Amino acid sequence: MTIDHAPAPAGAALSAEDRAELRLRHGKIRDAMADQGLDVVLAYGPAWRRENIRYFTDVTPAGSAALVVLPAEGDAVAFSTRPSDLTAFTAQGWVGEARRLDPANPAELGVVLKELAPRRIGIAHHELVPLVLMETIRAAAPAAEVVPATKLLDTARLVKSEWELARMRRSAVVCAAGWEAFVDVLEPGLPEYRIVAEVEARLKNLGAEDNFMLIASGRDEVRGMTPPGDRLLEAGDMVRTELTPKMDGYWLQICRSAVVGKADDGQRKSFDLFNEAVEAGISVVRPGVTAHEVAVAENDVFRKYGYGEYCTSQYTRVRGHGHGLHLDETPIIEGNHTVLPENSVFIIHPNTYTPLAGYHVLGDPVRVTGDGCEVLITTERKLFETGDVA
Amino acid sequence: MKRGLHVLDPAETPDQEWQERVATLQRTMAAQGIDVALVYGDVSRSDDLAYLTNLCLYWNEGVLAIPADGSVTFLTKLSLRVQNWMRASSKVTEFSGGKNFAELVAKYLVGRKNGTLGLVDAALWPADVAGEIVATVPGWEVRRLDGLVREQRLVPSATETELLRAAGRILDDAAAKATVEGSTAGSRVETVERALRGGGFLDLYPSSLSTSDGVTSFGVTGQYRMHWVHASRVLGDGVGWPGVLQDALSAAISAARTGATVGSLAEAAAPALAKLPDGAEAEVRWVNQADLSTGGEFRAQDPAAVLADGEAGAVSVEVAFADGGNAAVAETVRVTEGEPEHLTGAQR
Repeated sequence: MTIDHAPAPAGAALSAEDRAELRLRHGKIRDAMADQGLDVVLAYGPAWRRENIRYFTDVTPAGSAALVVLPAEGDAVAFSTRPSDLTAFTAQGWVGEARRLDPANPAELGVVLKELAPRRIGIAHHELVPLVLMETIRAAAPAAEVVPATKLLDTARLVKSEWELARMRRSAVVCAAGWEAFVDVLEPGLPEYRIVAEVEARLKNLGAEDNFMLIASGRDEVRGMTPPGDRLLEAGDMVRTELTPKMDGYWLQICRSAVVGKADDGQRKSFDLFNEAVEAGISVVRPGVTAHEVAVAENDVFRKYGYGEYCTSQYTRVRGHGHGLHLDETPIIEGNHTVLPENSVFIIHPNTYTPLAGYHVLGDPVRVTGDGCEVLITTERKLFETGDVA
Repeated sequence: MKRGLHVLDPAETPDQEWQERVATLQRTMAAQGIDVALVYGDVSRSDDLAYLTNLCLYWNEGVLAIPADGSVTFLTKLSLRVQNWMRASSKVTEFSGGKNFAELVAKYLVGRKNGTLGLVDAALWPADVAGEIVATVPGWEVRRLDGLVREQRLVPSATETELLRAAGRILDDAAAKATVEGSTAGSRVETVERALRGGGFLDLYPSSLSTSDGVTSFGVTGQYRMHWVHASRVLGDGVGWPGVLQDALSAAISAARTGATVGSLAEAAAPALAKLPDGAEAEVRWVNQADLSTGGEFRAQDPAAVLADGEAGAVSVEVAFADGGNAAVAETVRVTEGEPEHLTGAQR
């Protein structure tokens, strides 16, 4: 996480594009607030879930906890545990005011809520708000009804604007560069964690603010993906990664596997199976498709070849997931009937274990278009092989 | 995010020390009348869990259940296939998986005689999770506890100190390389990512601050195994107010001796800080390495707190200038009765 901000004059004007985006967001949220009878939306963001803070402020704070309070009328107020974040919030100019959040004594939050005197408060990430803050909120507005608003924000963020898509396309370029760095470094004898170090270095040089990355190496004994260990690569290993850089707040993922040396028959068959599943998922995407339908299309390929059991939770998690200001938005899984509207973005990745070659990852992020989908990355979908290692 | 090297190495931390960590907590629980303690962690604040088990929460949340007697159980929303990895890379042998922590806690308590259930560091638990647990375990007294595990972590053991020294050396070298003349924002982060993750760090957080007169300070907080170190340095030749900041930091570090108060660090730095430009607001902080994952932001700075022998932490001087710029300098040290041991910094 890197924040590099130069101070700007107080009240610095937003560009026309930024102002339009801000109005769009406030409009979406306030329409939903009116529907749900909310006087205030309060977005809470611990360090690992700051998507809603970014949505309201266009800043990813460095502090360990942050908040944004958006009343039904008027400017939003941002809070952070880290003083330098307040400079960042005000310099960016998306909120009217920024205040310190002291978890040991969150009195300033109480002051703001008391002034607003809300009757009904919706809290995004209500489920993560710590006791000390929740008790402050309830004490500051003792008569207010406090309800979860996580879904309200998730829904608002689902459809991406052109402003957002432009940023996600920049993430897509960095995704491709990250994968190139990954393949470039693979060689027998290299420990897994050194792969991650090289990929992170390349991504950060390109301006990525963060990256989520899982990895595994080996042959058909590999059953899942985790942070890296100190295992040394061997010739013939398949090395898999979910690589998810974040640019300007927006995450985008690429899933690929590469063989150290030349692929064997099992690895090639595995790639063919997974590639067919990705293509099946892509083929059903259109406005109004559900997450369930995309997952079924992918899983049917596995079922067709007798590998259906490997689509269960014993071997895998999801068939993909939404992307945006959070890297893991709506899950693409059978049983999730969430509609994926035009301009929603998600990755199709039928990642799972099979006996063919162990855990295999392959997937592309897509945008739902008016008549299908746009694949957002340019990286070739193939089983990569390195050099001429025997 | 925790995407660097995660290992369980008995040569670094022997079995006996892992057992003693849990046993020490169990003795504290017994003294407070706690039958079962629960420790909550998420991907951004999971060091208590790691300290007791070497578990790495690289994603999502988890709860560790510690009985007054016997082994710990990890309650997790993660799937079985990830549990296998966790079993191989931690000291935990008992796992319980499900979608809801309250249900997992209720299931864990089945067959146990009703007693007192303690929530460790209760103020920082998600209120919803705490409330659901209370509602799901009628017959149990649920008590809010302070940071019992954190308190054990405040003064590192000899093995932990060795790991901190290793961490400090790697981070110090990386910070020095990253802040050479001519470095750019991208190259600085690139350098520390390659050096720290390549050196075996699990997690790291680089950060840049800048001022209206074009001065950049670059800081890195990193986690090596379960231990954290931090350094922040102002780029450039140190002329003008950056030199004042460095003088203030040196004075604060020199004051960090066994028995000194946190407030005395600020007092030591005050003469230098008085030379800062008008309107600048400076803050001198001590953050024990046990709190560095959250920058110490979940703990109030207590000027009366006394530094213990062997305690390790970051001394920082952070400045907000009147025109909105920010700067920070910091190094990680180990408190001794004499001059502090520099874990990072030029005097190391």
